[in-house]
Amino acid sequence: MDYQSMLSWALPIGVGVAAFGSALGIGRAVGSAMEAMGRQPEAAGKIQTAMIVGAAFIEALTLYALLVFIMLQGKIGG
Amino acid sequence: MKTGFELDFVARTLRITGVVLLISLPFGIYYFGIWPALAFFSGGIWGMVNLIFLSSLIRTAIRPGGADTTRAVGFAVIKFPLLYLAGYALLKVPRFEPLHLLAGFSVLFLVMLLKATARALLGLDETGEHNSNPGQV
Repeated sequence: MDYQSMLSWALPIGVGVAAFGSALGIGRAVGSAMEAMGRQPEAAGKIQTAMIVGAAFIEALTLYALLVFIMLQGKIGG
Repeated sequence: MKTGFELDFVARTLRITGVVLLISLPFGIYYFGIWPALAFFSGGIWGMVNLIFLSSLIRTAIRPGGADTTRAVGFAVIKFPLLYLAGYALLKVPRFEPLHLLAGFSVLFLVMLLKATARALLGLDETGEHNSNPGQV
């Protein structure tokens, strides 16, 4: 298998894995935040902020994967 | 005692990122040229707008009193299709390198990381005074 074939397999799989991981991460973060807010509504502000920061980092990782995909996409020859 | 993760942590991060981007723009133009500097700046601004809408979405959708559905849907509609389309449009600008956009986008996270690290290491609370529990961010 040559370099381009490997790349054409690896890129979509990589983006898929990144999206799957991010979806799991954000899902767990939201679930835990809801649970924590239910237990301690007075701490909702802090929980929301921590969740925003976490969600931003998770989203950034997915965007990095997407950008790497776009950057390497041109290297897959026809 | 207030800690670094109070509600305005995001607002302060956005403010500092904006200042860092504004300061780095003329230096970037001088040292790297106008297009890489503009791409860096645009990536940073895109990241800031993205964080503004993400935090608005979370604050309206996930809160103890129940979601403000209308506003949450409004933020979601702006954030997911429109903002991502804007990002795609930035990527398609012929003179903008994706790497420069990515570097600009990362400034926000670098600021967040440095703020959190500084608070953890120096034991500073929000007012800049020393925290009695330095491990708490």
